[in-house]
Amino acid sequence: MKRLFSFLTGLSVLAGSAAYALPEDGGVTMVPPASALAEEVHFFHDGILLPIITAICLLVLALLIIVMTRFNARANPTPSKNSHNTLLEVVWTGIPIIILLIIALPSFELLFKEDVTPDGKQVVQRGDGQTVDFVFPNDFPPSRMVKRREHLQVMLDTGAERRTLSFKDDYSVDGWGDNDLVVSLKEPAPIGASVILRGGRSTQNVTGCPMAKRYFDACEKEVVLAPTLTLKVTGYQWNWSYGYPDYGDFEIFSNMLPEEDATPEMYRFEVDNRVILPVGETVRVTVTSKDVIHSWALPNFAVKIDAVPGRINETWIRGEQEGVYYGQCSEICGVRHAFMPIAVEFVSRPAFEAWIDGQRSLAGLDPMFDRNSAKFAQADTAGAAAE
Amino acid sequence: MADSHAAHGSHDAHDHKPSFLVRWFFSTNHKDIGTLYLIFAILAGIIGGGMSGLMRWELAEPGVTILTRWTGGDLTAAYNFYNVLTTYHGLMMIFFMVMPALIGGFGNWFVPIMIGAPDMAFPRMNNISFWLYGASGILITLSLFVPGYGSNLGFGGGWVLYPPLSSNTGNPGPAMDLLILSLHLAGASSILGAINFITTIFNMRAPGMTLHKMPLFAWSVLITAFLLVLSLPVLAGAITMLLTDRNFGTSFFDAAGGGDPLLFQHLFWFFGHPEVYILILPAFGIISHIVSTFSRKPIFGYLGMAYAMVAIGFVGFIVWAHHMYTVGLSVNMKAYFVAATMVIAVPTGIKIFSWIATMWGGSIQFKTPMVWAIGFIFLFTVGGVTGVVLANAGIDHYMHDTYYVVAHFHYVLSLGAVFGIFAGWYYWFPKMTGKMYREVLGQLHFWVMFVGVNLIFFPQHFLGLQGMPRRYIDYPEAFAHWHFISSVGYAITLVGMAVFLVAMIDAFFIYRRKAEANPWGEGATTLEWTLPSPPPFHQFNELPRFDKGDAKAF
Repeated sequence: MKRLFSFLTGLSVLAGSAAYALPEDGGVTMVPPASALAEEVHFFHDGILLPIITAICLLVLALLIIVMTRFNARANPTPSKNSHNTLLEVVWTGIPIIILLIIALPSFELLFKEDVTPDGKQVVQRGDGQTVDFVFPNDFPPSRMVKRREHLQVMLDTGAERRTLSFKDDYSVDGWGDNDLVVSLKEPAPIGASVILRGGRSTQNVTGCPMAKRYFDACEKEVVLAPTLTLKVTGYQWNWSYGYPDYGDFEIFSNMLPEEDATPEMYRFEVDNRVILPVGETVRVTVTSKDVIHSWALPNFAVKIDAVPGRINETWIRGEQEGVYYGQCSEICGVRHAFMPIAVEFVSRPAFEAWIDGQRSLAGLDPMFDRNSAKFAQADTAGAAAE
Repeated sequence: MADSHAAHGSHDAHDHKPSFLVRWFFSTNHKDIGTLYLIFAILAGIIGGGMSGLMRWELAEPGVTILTRWTGGDLTAAYNFYNVLTTYHGLMMIFFMVMPALIGGFGNWFVPIMIGAPDMAFPRMNNISFWLYGASGILITLSLFVPGYGSNLGFGGGWVLYPPLSSNTGNPGPAMDLLILSLHLAGASSILGAINFITTIFNMRAPGMTLHKMPLFAWSVLITAFLLVLSLPVLAGAITMLLTDRNFGTSFFDAAGGGDPLLFQHLFWFFGHPEVYILILPAFGIISHIVSTFSRKPIFGYLGMAYAMVAIGFVGFIVWAHHMYTVGLSVNMKAYFVAATMVIAVPTGIKIFSWIATMWGGSIQFKTPMVWAIGFIFLFTVGGVTGVVLANAGIDHYMHDTYYVVAHFHYVLSLGAVFGIFAGWYYWFPKMTGKMYREVLGQLHFWVMFVGVNLIFFPQHFLGLQGMPRRYIDYPEAFAHWHFISSVGYAITLVGMAVFLVAMIDAFFIYRRKAEANPWGEGATTLEWTLPSPPPFHQFNELPRFDKGDAKAF
């Protein structure tokens, strides 16, 4: 009953601080969403599709019950000879078309959000206690230019706290659609504070936005920044390999943990080497295969993309919280198809960098993120662009 | 009603039937060939259903414990065996059960009679069609017993046969080659059969029976025949390319040689999507007649019903890539296929509502065929709306290749097409055999099956929503609950099938009640009910006429 209740209340909240986001035995809903995008997928299913299809099934069931009770041979011994009703036929052609349009509009929006890799950009400028005008270079291709209020986010970071400024109350903008966008703050940014400007067409509803607001598109939006790193996934019969082309030429093979090494709950999900990714950053995922077709899937992120030999497919994921998420190969690939799971762990940026350096040293490469080396300065700016 | 044909019965009773060998092996009689197809379909259904039984038994609990009994404990062989079961279950049910039952069986039996023709246009070609199917059945059975992957028997790459798993990379053994040849023969058989139906329907309708007066089952078979003629050559081309890739060094689908594995998927689904309408359209036709007969009312919106099927058939050709949302298509292409796919819901909705409108105002008798038909309407609706969900690429990235898809297509096929077959079977059984079945057994069969199949497939929606992928011999503990329920549903369905066999044995050997020419009363208006049960070996020596007054054939 409790399960049914949580089903009816619809959109489940973000996976909380749980370290593992596994399916629930006997569960009847989609697995908990782990990203803002996955929450939008959940809303589209739980908030739009499921109510519509349930209503249609109940309507057909109700009509069948009515005809079976009112028009059976006992209740209605003489059948009518009626076989046409033009109005009725127009109605049951027209109404489904309207319903399909209601589904199609959010469907296309969601599809483009999923399939277009975010290209949001962030610039950070220092306040000096006097400057009120800050420039955001709007150098996107014409179709991706920042043109509306939702395409731009302005934040003020004083070191102690980070605050999102609100349009009109805190700042105004000049030059929408021009190459240089000027953000004018009402009050000068304090000395030492950072003014963070984020712009781009790739926006999403913030996580945790309630269902009711989503119906009216009333959620707070955030700009999704372009990927900061690429994860290269390669499918093999029957394991996955992961590479980090931004961080050197090494490859990690990920095999299912054998039954004797895994707990009964984790067996067939857990792997020996998890994918490690930094939390809060957009990650470009490229997927290919070395033998037959496989499919790389992460249900918590609503991501599934085939690994096809001779092709490189691309998608993206963005973990909002630290934790481990599991998926399983989703295209039949031979005898051990059921035994090549996927495990992705999101960790903090420093932990990620430490892990990368560990992998580099295993591959005989120098550390990349040694905080005392000169190299670090470069890598840090790249990292800071993300957060 | 057309003229009275009561006179035909006594006249036709004089005709003599050929000897057993000539009648059943060299048969050119559409009714005998129809019977052969039905027997073939029942045999394939038992094999295909048995395969699903092994799968559900294995999946009842996590761990690989059941299939190893047939492989001497060898796990890899058991994994391959499971993949083989999923593959051949799909192929058996689609190509060797549903298609022969609906098109070869009921189509052969009733299309000529319904349009007032003495036989099919090309009776000998009809015979070739059936025996090509026989040869095809032998080849697919042989392929189960020769190596596919390593020394493991059979091909275990799924009924969709995607390379490179079906090419030398994944399954170098001869099982796949035999399978390709089997599908070639099945395809040739269906193309010949389809040509026969199109020719018959266009040329041999009774005088005065225009296309717009033709019974809806004949309409459905006509549209199906067009789908077969247009789609099967594409499959034949694809599997021929696969055959040459495997044996003659071409690389149509081999990326290393400049080919593309996705080319196969496009070709396959250009056939494969019309194929699913090939499976369901004849069932639509059957359901229309049953609903009209037992409501004692003419079908509501006849023209809308006929052209809804035409629309489904047409749109069915331009939606194929909705099976391929995760393969890496461009986003604009996905958007097109989302839009086109959702369009199909409109004509399908017209059909559902027209069936209900036919019943509205009627005087419904809940005889066995009618309860199957009502079950069909509701369960097909459930399967249809999950199709609308899956049509959305944004959701399909989550649902693709999960049990949600399995639940969806079994609702439209296993609970749709198969319920249509049983409805047609109980509707025409008295006509085909001249015997009645015991009503209570038919009703019992329906209710046990109804509970069983829903228990198998409804929980699979939940498994899919929880992320359980398809074609898995083993699964994590988190999916155990619904898998167990699903397997219990299979056991109940098995009882339902036992009731069916008992009902048939009972009808032939115990009950032995002779069927009248028209056991269903005034609601049954199509031509087959004007002939005695069973119909004479040759019918309509004098053609029925529809060109006098406002006679209708439906």
